[in-house]
Amino acid sequence: MSGAELNIPALWPFVVYSGVVIFMAIGMLGTSYILGERHRGGAMGQPYECGIVPTGSARLRHSAKFYLIAVFFVIFDLEAVFVFAWAVAVRESGWAGYAEMLIFIGILLSALVYLWRIGALEWGSRHTPRRGAEDSL
Amino acid sequence: MILVWLIAVPCIGALLAGISPRGRELRCRGVTIAAFAINLALTLALWIMHPAVLRLAGGGAWFAEFDRAWIPSLGIRFHLALDGLSLVLIALTNFLGLMAAAASWRDITEKVRFFHVNLLWMAAAVIGVFLAVDLFLFYSFWELMLVPLYFLIGIWGHEQRLYAAFKFFIFTQASSLLMLLSLLGLYFIHGRATGVYTFDYGALMGTALSPGTGMWLMLGFFVAFVIKLAAVPLHNWLPDAHTQAPTAGSVILAGLVLKVGAYGLIRFAVPLFPAASAQFAPVAMGMGVASILYGAILAFAQTDIKRLVAYTSVSHMGFVLLGVYAGSTVALQGAVMVMLAHGISTSALFILVGALSERIGTREMGRMGGLWAAAPRMSGSLLVFALASLGLPGFGNFVGEFLVLLGVFRMSAPLAAVAAVSLITAAIYSLWMFQRACHGPNSEGWVIPDLSGIEAAIMAGMISVTVWLGIYPGAVLNVTREALESLRPDITSAVSSKR
Amino acid sequence: MVRGDFFILLPLIITGGAAVAVMLLISFRRSHLATATVTLVALGAAVISVICVAAAAPRQASALLILDSYALFYMGLIFAAGCAVTMIAYDYFERQTDHREEFYLLLLLATLGSAVLVSSNHFASLFLGLEILSVSLYALIAFHRERLPSVEAGVRYLILAAASSAFLLFGMALIYLERGDMTFFRSTQIASGVPAWSPLLLAGTALLIVGIGFKLALVPFHMWTPDIYEGAPPPATAFIASVSKGAAFVLLLRYVTLFGLHSGSVQSAAIAAIAVASMFFGNLLALREEKVRRVLAYSSIAHMGYLLVAILAAGPLAAVAAGYYLVAYFTSIIGSFGIISVREGREGGGDAVSDYRGYAWRHPWLGGAFTAMLLSLAGIPITAGFVGKFYLLAAGLESSLRLLVVVLVASSAIGLFYYLRIIITLYGPPEAERQGAAITPAVSLAGGVALTALTFLLIWFGAYPAPLLRLIQAMVGG
Repeated sequence: MSGAELNIPALWPFVVYSGVVIFMAIGMLGTSYILGERHRGGAMGQPYECGIVPTGSARLRHSAKFYLIAVFFVIFDLEAVFVFAWAVAVRESGWAGYAEMLIFIGILLSALVYLWRIGALEWGSRHTPRRGAEDSL
Repeated sequence: MILVWLIAVPCIGALLAGISPRGRELRCRGVTIAAFAINLALTLALWIMHPAVLRLAGGGAWFAEFDRAWIPSLGIRFHLALDGLSLVLIALTNFLGLMAAAASWRDITEKVRFFHVNLLWMAAAVIGVFLAVDLFLFYSFWELMLVPLYFLIGIWGHEQRLYAAFKFFIFTQASSLLMLLSLLGLYFIHGRATGVYTFDYGALMGTALSPGTGMWLMLGFFVAFVIKLAAVPLHNWLPDAHTQAPTAGSVILAGLVLKVGAYGLIRFAVPLFPAASAQFAPVAMGMGVASILYGAILAFAQTDIKRLVAYTSVSHMGFVLLGVYAGSTVALQGAVMVMLAHGISTSALFILVGALSERIGTREMGRMGGLWAAAPRMSGSLLVFALASLGLPGFGNFVGEFLVLLGVFRMSAPLAAVAAVSLITAAIYSLWMFQRACHGPNSEGWVIPDLSGIEAAIMAGMISVTVWLGIYPGAVLNVTREALESLRPDITSAVSSKR
Repeated sequence: MVRGDFFILLPLIITGGAAVAVMLLISFRRSHLATATVTLVALGAAVISVICVAAAAPRQASALLILDSYALFYMGLIFAAGCAVTMIAYDYFERQTDHREEFYLLLLLATLGSAVLVSSNHFASLFLGLEILSVSLYALIAFHRERLPSVEAGVRYLILAAASSAFLLFGMALIYLERGDMTFFRSTQIASGVPAWSPLLLAGTALLIVGIGFKLALVPFHMWTPDIYEGAPPPATAFIASVSKGAAFVLLLRYVTLFGLHSGSVQSAAIAAIAVASMFFGNLLALREEKVRRVLAYSSIAHMGYLLVAILAAGPLAAVAAGYYLVAYFTSIIGSFGIISVREGREGGGDAVSDYRGYAWRHPWLGGAFTAMLLSLAGIPITAGFVGKFYLLAAGLESSLRLLVVVLVASSAIGLFYYLRIIITLYGPPEAERQGAAITPAVSLAGGVALTALTFLLIWFGAYPAPLLRLIQAMVGG
């Protein structure tokens, strides 16, 4: 951008912060590199560096539920972000903004209802109303 | 309105043939033959009545016209018009359609319905090509013609049918696209010059073109038409397509598709670009002579009887090319005469050869011989059409070739002399073919059934028409004279100005 | 003002509302028929609402969306295409068992995204529409989640589409940096005294073209097409081939038209190079393929190349040519994949060209319709494709784009070969084991209605294009 002057005094906390972050990251890695013990031999080259020989294949099928929970977290936290943004300007946006927020929440709620009904919120058991779900998992 | 019916009758026929119930082949064949017969009757009625019709129309070469808006935003109209040239060619189309349908009676026993749908569809498109005087409409019919022909060759053809069908389609389609470009170029040049954007033939006829542009645009049309006409450097698709096609397909190819190319030259390539055509005429005539000789020589070298007949087509169509560019009404009339006579004689040869090879299971002439005794009627017919093909006086072919040579002689005596050599070569290959097939010892001991009733009727019809053309060519010459004169002057004036 | 905005946004509101409604419907009552019916009714209502709101156009609804007749025409086209895909999908999924209702949900969302895309005139709405479309497409492509090719195709599309979105975002950022505005209009207009094309703007536009090029599968960015066409369920492929590409093309046309592309500029040279490459490589690579869907994938690359000729032509005919070609292309490609879908739903088996041997004898009507569709794609008269191609050639020649027009002609001549190969295989002698194994009925009611309508439209638009041309002229020509 032409003509935009850099405001040095306003930037220095950011510079300090960046410096601290980089120093900490290097420091933690470097300290463990210097102080850490080193063993050679045995099963140390294997995955899981604790020295136990792994058994079985690494290609396990995890239950997808873990990821579902993570996805829910993302969805509902992001929803909160939008709600916060609205809350800051709630008076300015007025009833129209309120209605829009209601629609937004309503859509999310119906998505939640959908997830609930198809059994995506069930943790362990699989008594889902979905046809053919058993053979797909 | 009668012009629309000429196209609609085969379409309706195709529809009826297509929906006729499975297993009722007879009805399907009947519908096809009826459609062609009705159409032929309509055409002949127009032919006989044409003086009266002409008076009604009040001068001009068009006997009848049909004109409706189609795509107004581009100046495209559904414009059909009929003159003497179109009339005789439509008569030929319907006659050959009738013959092809009859000839396929024994030949085609599988997928009968779809075959007849294609036959009628093809005929409708060819008639449309002969009638259209809006260039967009013409192009549409021109392209529509390809698809059924592709099916005819590709589905019911002989052993190498797919190769032949592909080759045919790619050759003709690529050239058609060139024509489309030329057509659009002409449209825009005319539109920019006059402010009237139209595809109408009459309006585009007088477009002023710079020599260079005119030549390029003309070449676009020329290549498309000459590929269909199968003149020498561009004839490559023809032997394969003719040989591999079923009998009816060969009849259509030889009788109609080649004529469509010639018609395009006469109707469009030359009148739309008179100056460029005049400049190009020597090259075109050279191609014509080359085709005549090359086709004759290669025909003589064939051992496959169907392929031999295919190469004779190249030779005969060379005469047409020669006549179109000779620049005189006589030569042009001769060209039209050759088109008609060749359409009938070559189609008859294909039907006979098809019947023969179906009976003995081979097209190799080396394995034939002595068939005169086994099948006298078939051999007799073969002799008649071999004689017609070599240009014996009394047959239509003679009249046409004679007129072409007459016209060419006035313009260039050496070319005429070279072309006249073909009268000898034609005699050689025709008689040679007949001799190898029908004379000599019957070394393989063929015992074959002679022509069936239907086939005999086909032959009787075709012989009488070709003889009629030979002894009374006036019927054709009179009806086409006016049209050809209106199409010719541009060439002569341009040619004479060039001299 | 706000009420007027709501009125003109009715088509989008209907589609979005329908998506929520379908979601709730699925959660309470899983019924394939009901879901498909609701979807079809909603998309039909969206088409009707487009006609209703046309009188109020043009209108800028908020800063993001412009509802002019151009946008409304393509919206109508997209919704109609959505209807056709829904019916084909119903036919296809009627024979599947697993989780089929969600397909319609995703279809509605993807349609919504495409509709937003064609009406956007702001980078934010562009990205919004594109992402709604893309995210739905990931799931649509991977819809057969138990079939490896489908999942693989979905992941592949996910990665490539995300990468292309990144390019797009970066391009937008650069243009914003240069112009300080995100609306199409102001970001394309050149203020006096400023050099017309600064490096930043040039780079930004190039990145935008890359991003859109991915969506359109133009030649250097076309790699994903065959695998995704092959892996996705056929109704989803029909959607990708038609609506997704069409929407991206409409957007590109709008943006480039605002720029006022000058012949001879770097941009138009780049687009011309992409067009030539797409036409040639699309058609040449299709020759080598043995599977029908892959052939159609490469052919669609070539078709997008043809369409670029309209963008470059930029004459009075060009907008109409592009509109007509898109309608023709939508009709034929949805129809083609409709028949592929109907066949695969019943006969199963592979997708090789040889698997179609004798299909026209087993199912004459479907075979005939497929022939018509392929002939239309090849550009043979009395099909819509011919008139479309004719218009493109006319538009190109009008703007004297000789080279492009010649390439178009030459490459479509090459293209004929593979279309013909499929057609003649349809009419080949049927294999022995397949003979007499014709399954009845050949097609369900919904699929039959859709295919009949598409074939009818194909012939109608080809034989009597005047009414459609008038409509397009009125909607996008002005």
